[in-house]
Amino acid sequence: MRSTFSLFLIVLLLSCFSLTAQDYEISAIAPELFLNANAVVRSEEISIEVKSIDKIIIHKKRAVTVLNEYGERHALAADVYDKDRKIKDQEAYIYDEYGEEIRKIKKRHFKDHSLVTGGTLHSDNRVSYFDYTPNKYPYTLVYESEVQSSSTIFIKPWEPMSDYLISVEQARYQFKNPSQIPIRFDERNMPEKVERTASKYELNYSVSNLPARQQEALSPDFTEFSPKLLVALEDFSLIGVKGHAKNWEDLGRWQYENLISERGRLPETTLAKIEKLTAEATSDSEKARIIYNFMQENTRYVSVQLGIGGWQPIRASEVDKLGYGDCKALTNYMMALLQSQGIASNYAVVYGGEHRNIDAKFASMEGNHVILQVPQENDETVWLECTNQNLPFNYLGDFTDNRNVLLVKPGGGEIVSTKKYLPEENLQKSKTNIQLNDEGGFLASTKRVSKGIPYGNTYYIERRKKRNQILSYKEEWGYLKNIDIARLEFENNKQMPSFTEIVEFTGEKLALKVGKRFLLPLNFFKPEVEKLPRNTHRKLPVEIKRGKMFQDGFIYHLPEGYTAEAIPESVNIENEFGRYVLDVVLKKVEGKEVLTVNREYVVNEGRWNPEKYEDYREFLNLILALNNQKAVLAATH
Amino acid sequence: MLRLYFFLLFLLTIGSIHAQDFKFGKVSVAEVVEKVHPQYPEANAAVLFREHNTYYEINKHTGIMLVTKVHERIKIYNKEGVDWAEKVISTYHSDSDHEKVSSTKGITYNLENGKLIKDKLRNNGIFEEKVNEYNGKVTLNMPAVTEGSVIEYEYSLRSPFLTSIDDIPLQYTIPINHLEVKITIPEFFGFQKHFNTRSQLDFQINESRKKFTYNFTQSQRSGVRAVKTSFQNNKVEYLENIYEISETDIPPLKDEVYVDYLQNYAAFLTWELQYTKFPNSPIENFSQTWEGVAKTIFDNGLEKEINRTGYFKNDLKKLLKGINNPEDKISKIYNFVREKVKWNKLAGYVSDNGAKVAYKEGAGNTGDINLMLVAMLKHAGINASPVLLSTQDNGVPLFPTRSGFNYVIAGIELPDDIILLDATDHNAFLNELPKRARNWQGRLIRQRGSSAWVDLMPKKQAVQSKSINIQFKDNMKVEGKSISNYSGLFAKSYRENFAGLNRDNYIQLLEEDKGNIVISGLDIKNKKSIGEDIRQTYEFELADVVENINDKIYFQPMVFEAIKENPFKAKKRHYPIFLDFPSVTNKRINIMIPEGYKVESLPENTIVEFKNGKGEFKFITTVNGNFLRVDSVLNLNEIVFSPLEYNNLKNFYEQMLNKHSEAIVLTKAR
Repeated sequence: MRSTFSLFLIVLLLSCFSLTAQDYEISAIAPELFLNANAVVRSEEISIEVKSIDKIIIHKKRAVTVLNEYGERHALAADVYDKDRKIKDQEAYIYDEYGEEIRKIKKRHFKDHSLVTGGTLHSDNRVSYFDYTPNKYPYTLVYESEVQSSSTIFIKPWEPMSDYLISVEQARYQFKNPSQIPIRFDERNMPEKVERTASKYELNYSVSNLPARQQEALSPDFTEFSPKLLVALEDFSLIGVKGHAKNWEDLGRWQYENLISERGRLPETTLAKIEKLTAEATSDSEKARIIYNFMQENTRYVSVQLGIGGWQPIRASEVDKLGYGDCKALTNYMMALLQSQGIASNYAVVYGGEHRNIDAKFASMEGNHVILQVPQENDETVWLECTNQNLPFNYLGDFTDNRNVLLVKPGGGEIVSTKKYLPEENLQKSKTNIQLNDEGGFLASTKRVSKGIPYGNTYYIERRKKRNQILSYKEEWGYLKNIDIARLEFENNKQMPSFTEIVEFTGEKLALKVGKRFLLPLNFFKPEVEKLPRNTHRKLPVEIKRGKMFQDGFIYHLPEGYTAEAIPESVNIENEFGRYVLDVVLKKVEGKEVLTVNREYVVNEGRWNPEKYEDYREFLNLILALNNQKAVLAATH
Repeated sequence: MLRLYFFLLFLLTIGSIHAQDFKFGKVSVAEVVEKVHPQYPEANAAVLFREHNTYYEINKHTGIMLVTKVHERIKIYNKEGVDWAEKVISTYHSDSDHEKVSSTKGITYNLENGKLIKDKLRNNGIFEEKVNEYNGKVTLNMPAVTEGSVIEYEYSLRSPFLTSIDDIPLQYTIPINHLEVKITIPEFFGFQKHFNTRSQLDFQINESRKKFTYNFTQSQRSGVRAVKTSFQNNKVEYLENIYEISETDIPPLKDEVYVDYLQNYAAFLTWELQYTKFPNSPIENFSQTWEGVAKTIFDNGLEKEINRTGYFKNDLKKLLKGINNPEDKISKIYNFVREKVKWNKLAGYVSDNGAKVAYKEGAGNTGDINLMLVAMLKHAGINASPVLLSTQDNGVPLFPTRSGFNYVIAGIELPDDIILLDATDHNAFLNELPKRARNWQGRLIRQRGSSAWVDLMPKKQAVQSKSINIQFKDNMKVEGKSISNYSGLFAKSYRENFAGLNRDNYIQLLEEDKGNIVISGLDIKNKKSIGEDIRQTYEFELADVVENINDKIYFQPMVFEAIKENPFKAKKRHYPIFLDFPSVTNKRINIMIPEGYKVESLPENTIVEFKNGKGEFKFITTVNGNFLRVDSVLNLNEIVFSPLEYNNLKNFYEQMLNKHSEAIVLTKAR
């Protein structure tokens, strides 16, 4: 009797639950949430429970209404797992636009796939996912999962706005901590209407009706304005290794002591080699250069992220033997090599790729890459990228420049910023002599020098095959007609660093024949100016992340018997965004006319109010217009 | 004397060839010292030696195994070549069995102070991973590899899938200096070999036969399924067929644009199973003709699927109520299937879960969807059949084999025409196949499994017509109206790229490559009505395109409709060129000559023909009172061109590019 009753109760409870929780009809969505949205988060409930220092349970239920094909990527039914992180349960449901359930997907219908299939990556991370093929929009996908992890160092921050072009009807976050481990938490960009209750061991947050944000050109990083709740445990565990941290100093020290230290021993033979190589060097900086070169010559990048290897570098001795490793392993190896000559350096955790800072005010496991910092007593800090075999010493390029990194030092962690390249450092300078013939064709000889960020975007051409080098110039100067490359020469000065390209080539129809005259474009090479879309209701600030500077000279030697009938006037524009100067001079050299065009284009880095967007766009449009300027050549007889 | 000299020279040459030792572990100092490849100085790496040995291993306890032993020695010349220090071996897994990699060893050779240093590949450099249900991979990461290193590895791939011998590569994207291939097949398996005929390389193959002895007893039954009769300790002799290739200096495979599928042009050897003949059992024939292949596929599931009607019968009845015209029926059913069941991006000619399940769930693979389409059409009295084909990334099969097909569409035979349908593409109209299916030819299977080839390449020219009216404004801007019409595959590709975008984003995209333009009044007709022409109109204001110098106006009349670059940039071409579909592109620009101006000069009229009219470009200007008209017509009737035609094709585009950039001059009338 008793058992029947309880069964009945369970059935009742279940049906109650399904009645209240599943109201996904489209008509219930507030109109403002459709604006700019490809998908709407109907409800997201994340509940995190810390059972003990090495057991955390994450329960997630997320209902997303997908409005069109672009919204599909916001409605995923997937979780990542490995030996340390287990998926306890997974389920998905699909509802039609009226909120009727049309499919139910049980755990056994989820597919399993290795998370990385790329070439040089080895990892034990796998993904369990269900790939839904919609046959109609809109639809709603509800994904529910329970994941248990023994690494309590990672508590995923709560980010209710996951991306652009998705709105949020309701999102809730609950953090429960029956184990009573002290916690830290902090908010970023929380909307005013957030509801929150926070006690010593429990957090409850919820937001509702957040409209979708539209992506805008030249906007700051998404994380700079999207809401976020950061949570961390003061006592934690990482794949069996326990720790305690209240701030970056603690967390850095813990990382150093548990993951980095004692992993730098090198075999005697290598030490002897380094000793010998650096014997003649007179300064630490010279020694460091030699050692960096040695490291580049003898290693390659292969990523192995198995178990704790995802967080701990392989021993330096192992890298020495294998000749490969991931960013952690190679950085640690380089650090050990420098140490052998008494040069101190620091393991630095960073976000590589698109600009992203490590949060200086909240300590948690962050970053996706590691580089090496070599402090200098009286000079600018040296930064070393250890996964690239060709980059010059102390060159970071746009992968890791100008952002916060965590220095993992024996004495404790420290947040510092990497090198920022100033506009005048990012200089690309060219000079081209152009001999025109009387059919409008030309023979050109160009010398172009790239420094700073442009160095990193050009130097690799040297190592391509000749055929591909030629094709790459034909693509870059695709607007010049029928070009044929006669000579190619490169000079890679790694000390500066600067990269010089010397190209000699011919082409046709540069000067356009119109009747008896020629129209000659003044800008032989087009300046690197982006065309920005019109946007009259700009919302986000305008950010130019890196300044740049271009100086180009074009010297046109007119064909015999021709004279420049009309030449455009020189131009000089300067404003808060930068500078554009076009200087046009006509001279006679040995009876022939020579038209010299000097162009300087500077873009400043900085941040401006949204309303400045149109001004900047106008500045660029003006330059683009000036780019079309032509001189008129006429026959003298 | 001279003879003797040559003889000695000959001996020396022989000697030096033999000096190179290809035994595992016998890498020479000279190989590590070498800085560049002697014939291909641009090679980042080279295969110094590759030995590929495939044979059947017969073991009393484990039965028969298909074993492939590979030994490779690779020279790394520079940092780009270091990629070759990683070897990925793919393995296949079925429900019950899988391929295994074993006996792996590897050594990296470097030079230190003139001495050869060896680093062994250890277990921590070998990674095994199951990628998904059917595929696994084993990766060998060679240790201590740097510029100049020579690496060497050996492994065995043991396969329980006896009837399929993997393709044997004979060419890489790096040169192969020395290649030794040996395939030994017992007479139980009747394999036919095929070289890839689209490769330009020739290989000598030596064929021989050898006896071998096989002992078997009554109790030994495992593995070989055909050992049925019982003998006591019997000894039988059989023949083995041996195929050997020994080749030197194989050039690297080149990469090019506008190629259908690069692997189609690589040299490789592929094996077709024709029959099996196990001891004391009858010969079993395997597919040998395309007719046979098609029939086998038809009998194994296809027929059943296209005759199943129960699950859609009632719905179809409702759908076709009152419709008698076959054409209307076809389009009704085609649209119905496309709306009802969406493609899950998986190819295949068989139904994954059965069309019935796909019908219910609203999603399925190619087999599910197109076999359902055939079933419905047939049920409605239309003469529809399945058409098997190979997608572009499945290549073009060299011989009749089931794996030569990986996709199915529907075909409707008319008295003197055929309509091809693929309901997995929601933008395709009748007779418009998605690009993936426009490959090689298809096999149409009629009732009872008889079959015939059908051409899959688009034959009808798609047309796009653009007309632009331009007026000069006082401020050196122009304003105008653009009207565009897209038909056929042009309309399909428009829908694929733009139909899903919202208005603002689409206008942004339209403005993107048109200079300093502001577009307004955008109107698009038939955006979603598949099969209808798309008509797009908008107004625009365009700045910075007019040069006004000394009372003259210089203006490039093709404005933003000019082609900006020649798509063909390379000097030489090695493989055929594949364009998407036959097409006609009409562009007409009408310019109103501003008051007070007259035409001073115009571009010359031009007609360029290419390949006997298979391609034609016309550029014609006409002045009529105050109006100047510029017509540019590009007519492409053919889509595949041989490498020999490359230069002509490149020139053809060059001439169009030149014409499109020419300018008109207007002068102030006095």
